[in-house]
Amino acid sequence: MSGVGPMYPNEKPEHPYLSKSYVGDLLGNYSSRFCAGCGYGIIAQIYTRVFEDEQLDPFLHPLVIGIGCYAQIMLLVHSKAQKILTLHGRAPAIATGMKMANPKMKPIIFSGDGDSMGIGGNHFIHLCRRNLDCVELVFNNSIYGMTGGQGAPTTLFGAKSSTTPYKMFENKADAVKIALAAGATYVARTTVAHPRTFMKYFKKALKHKGTSVIEIVTPCVTYFGRKNLDNLGFEGEEGSKMDTGGKMIEWIRRNSVRNNQAKFMTEEELFNKYVIGEFRYEPNKPEYADEYAKIQKIAMEGKK
Amino acid sequence: MISEKRFLQAGKHLMMGNEAMSEGAIAAGCTFFGGYPITPSTEVIEHLAKRLPEVGGVCMQMEDELASINAVMGASLVGAKAMTATSGPGLALMAETISMGANLEIPFVFCDVQRNGPGTGYVTEPHHNDIGFARFSGNGEFQIIALAPMNCQELYDLTITAFNFAEKYRCPVFLMSDAYLGHLHEVVDIPTREEILKKIIKRELPANTKGRVFSYKDPSTGEYVIPSPPIMGTEYCPGLFLHQPHGPDGLPTPKPIVFQEMLIEKITSKMDEISLTETYKLDDADIVIVSYGLPVRSSYRAVDIAREEGIKVGIFRLITVWPFPDEKVKVAVKDAKAVIVPELNYTGVIAEQVERVTKLETPVIKIPKVAEFHHPDDILKVIREVAK
Ligand SMILES: Cc1ncc(C[n+]2csc(CCOP(=O)(O)OP(=O)(O)O)c2C)c(N)n1
Ligand code: SF4
Repeated sequence: MSGVGPMYPNEKPEHPYLSKSYVGDLLGNYSSRFCAGCGYGIIAQIYTRVFEDEQLDPFLHPLVIGIGCYAQIMLLVHSKAQKILTLHGRAPAIATGMKMANPKMKPIIFSGDGDSMGIGGNHFIHLCRRNLDCVELVFNNSIYGMTGGQGAPTTLFGAKSSTTPYKMFENKADAVKIALAAGATYVARTTVAHPRTFMKYFKKALKHKGTSVIEIVTPCVTYFGRKNLDNLGFEGEEGSKMDTGGKMIEWIRRNSVRNNQAKFMTEEELFNKYVIGEFRYEPNKPEYADEYAKIQKIAMEGKK
Repeated sequence: MISEKRFLQAGKHLMMGNEAMSEGAIAAGCTFFGGYPITPSTEVIEHLAKRLPEVGGVCMQMEDELASINAVMGASLVGAKAMTATSGPGLALMAETISMGANLEIPFVFCDVQRNGPGTGYVTEPHHNDIGFARFSGNGEFQIIALAPMNCQELYDLTITAFNFAEKYRCPVFLMSDAYLGHLHEVVDIPTREEILKKIIKRELPANTKGRVFSYKDPSTGEYVIPSPPIMGTEYCPGLFLHQPHGPDGLPTPKPIVFQEMLIEKITSKMDEISLTETYKLDDADIVIVSYGLPVRSSYRAVDIAREEGIKVGIFRLITVWPFPDEKVKVAVKDAKAVIVPELNYTGVIAEQVERVTKLETPVIKIPKVAEFHHPDDILKVIREVAK
């Protein structure tokens, strides 16, 4: 991510905090600080589009953001949006507090792979376990982007990073499998190479009552791409270097397998592949805030 | 709408310290509690798990202390009065978020039921070992407020004060209880509903959310006038700038020192409102006991006996421990030939502060105790020696 670019650029409205209408003002007020070819721009665009398409009330959909490159997406959404940049990994816990203190809200959580699988793994699991009504987007770029290309719990086997300079040899964490095991009621994985699918899943998640987890595979050109120019490329093909966003997106597309196909593949064949699709949709499971409201009713009536 | 069950029947109740604190929180309008069980604070979450749903609030047992404090932060951000209770090891985990809360300037109330340490220690014994930790309870520089109750009545009353301070000064406020105090059973005199409601600062949107409602300084006097905390999900929320350093005009600033100064000054410039102290037989005293929390109770007895023996000794009690009231302490120990500081810890955190204020000109005698009570005789012995 580039450090240059204004933090508070020429936007000087009369009341900077109190603008009247919500418009997904992508790139209008702020210049993007992402590297050229980064996938987060695509995600920001889809996020704002869905927000506008669905006419979501920004006051009821606070954006809770962890720490990572993706946090800069908050610069791209309009200043009326209720957004809070929180701590590394803690966004699910903060969203839990928000939802329970104001049950009308449906928080949208942005988290990275390091954020939700590494430092905040516990909060992620318990968010899914409670089935709290919110949407968690997990951006999997297979690396720690913001701190400069260190290995993540999701780094592919054999890949290089600045903390795995020889090769990654740890088993990788799978956000979808963890979410399924923990009890999230809508679980899906998609990639930025499939933006329409992402849009569809995101809209579905917004209508779903319960915890929705969508993992989005996205390229980090600057670190993952640069450090893995050849060794994870498409073997034997010309121009296999992952040195541009376009090539990396193409690599992600080829490295993804639909889950209905994956059923017929062996574990070896699926090694280091991204299995995409919807994995669970259970709209009728009890939701935490609803269940707590029932407890409140029992307590108020004085029953035991 | 205020729930009928929020206020206990006015009059005398026999209560455990931890319960008195929980009831104080409910009376103050707390509607969210996030916690994780830890001896000796566990009764707080147990009591609130039963009581908060009755008044339409939420009590959540989170997956750990990190989650507890972050959920409290989330609840506070959307406009709920929120608190958590823990002990030393939990406080250690919460440090990152306390610092974040101070940065966001949202109200937080913590009850730290202190226990012996370091490490796991003697978990059921009291030890005022977090008193220094509370002061520096996170990365970065910020000012917190810490209150030290000494009986169950104060646990109830000061919890209400703590919520008011948090709303008013928008900073983390600590209640420094301990393992004995939390488990003490005493009579608490509950005020009437009207009396309580009169005292409480409510979380409300400013009457007019248009214009510069985020400014921190009164332009005519230059004094800090802290705006009420922003509420996410309303017009009154600075959105993008919520987490960003801002100056006294409420607008983001590229100069870190401007924000740093404001975070600290907005509290330290209000010492006359924040600093709560008490004195006992201090007027003509030439030996001064400076203390806080439970050791004050032992000191009363020691002073009474010493006075009978003709020794002029008095007590200066800190109710607000942080920010440390330099000026008041200076005045209290001005004519003293010695200052005695009985403290429930080994290093004497507050004794060091007294030494700083007296510039080491007056001898400061520590009476350290770890994981046990000060017997009045312990203090009396020192008083007699000094008086010789
Ligand atoms: C407690 C804490 N530890 C470490 C950091 C440093 N840090 C900031 S971002 C980051 C990695 C983020 O990686 P990821 O979540 O994968 O997001 P990406 O940058 O790849 O989008 C780390 C380790 C921090 N901010 N806070
Ligand atoms: S994720 Fe990688 S490509 Fe994207 S902004 Fe961060 S460092 Fe740049």
